[in-house]
Amino acid sequence: MNTFVTQAQPSFLSFRKYTSIPGSMAIWFAILAEMTEFTIMFIVYFIAKVHNPELFYDGPTRLNTLAGTSNTLIMLTSSFFVIRAVIAIRNNQLRQSSRWLWAAVICGLLYLIIKVLEYQWNTAQGLDTETNIFYGVYYYVTFNHFLHVGWGSAGLIWVIYRINTGIYTQNEHEGLINMAVYWHMIDLAWITIFPLLYIIR
Amino acid sequence: MQTMIQAKRHIQTIDKLWVILIALTLFSAFMAERATPSFVSVAIMAIVLAVKGRIIVDHFMELKNAHFLLRGLMRAYFYVIPSLIIIVYLFPETIARWTALS
Repeated sequence: MNTFVTQAQPSFLSFRKYTSIPGSMAIWFAILAEMTEFTIMFIVYFIAKVHNPELFYDGPTRLNTLAGTSNTLIMLTSSFFVIRAVIAIRNNQLRQSSRWLWAAVICGLLYLIIKVLEYQWNTAQGLDTETNIFYGVYYYVTFNHFLHVGWGSAGLIWVIYRINTGIYTQNEHEGLINMAVYWHMIDLAWITIFPLLYIIR
Repeated sequence: MQTMIQAKRHIQTIDKLWVILIALTLFSAFMAERATPSFVSVAIMAIVLAVKGRIIVDHFMELKNAHFLLRGLMRAYFYVIPSLIIIVYLFPETIARWTALS
């Protein structure tokens, strides 16, 4: 039987309408903690910006906008692949689901490669953490995000392994949902970092 | 049969949203290259961020019909950060005064 389920499965909190949560409660604690961490970095950015308006006005112009834009497109696309993997497993298409996830992993690796090239490009331009406070904030925030993409990609590979070994099925795949929402959080952090550091002056 | 049609529609919606996200990103990158910074350009970039965040929270994280508190917190993020971007652009001196150590 091939049942199609499109909505998120209600979780253990279903005592009234709109009380379901995608994945487990634990992953949402992690996500909210991480979002708080990124918020603190953004507040640091805002405060540094108002105290150093010239440096933050010139800063983005010396960064590689092409690298930043490419990575934004890659992160958004990887998130798209992950939600397609979730839909596929709900429709009992396990192979398609792991293929979508591999596509997301490739995006993650591409992101990491572009970021390394961007850092090398910065070094060639004479930019480093010590150049001024704008680049200090830039390296602090983007390297932190870089680490998230790294372990997020490893997490995706773990989920693929669990699908391929038959641990996750159409009806039992909470771990996949947890990884999916965590990956979307990494994407959300990047789409916020991108305008702050590369675009807005 | 009904559920199969629903699943197809869901996939179509997700595909369309991906195209919108890509288009919004290219648009804001293009603006960054062309436009000189002004209130209008900063406001547009803040709104683009709000829209992108909302799409991911509602449709990719699937919080649209989820627990009201979780949905509210995640949606609020993409009201607060874009608002901060605009406030910081408009009143930098005031915020600098409030955040000065001495």
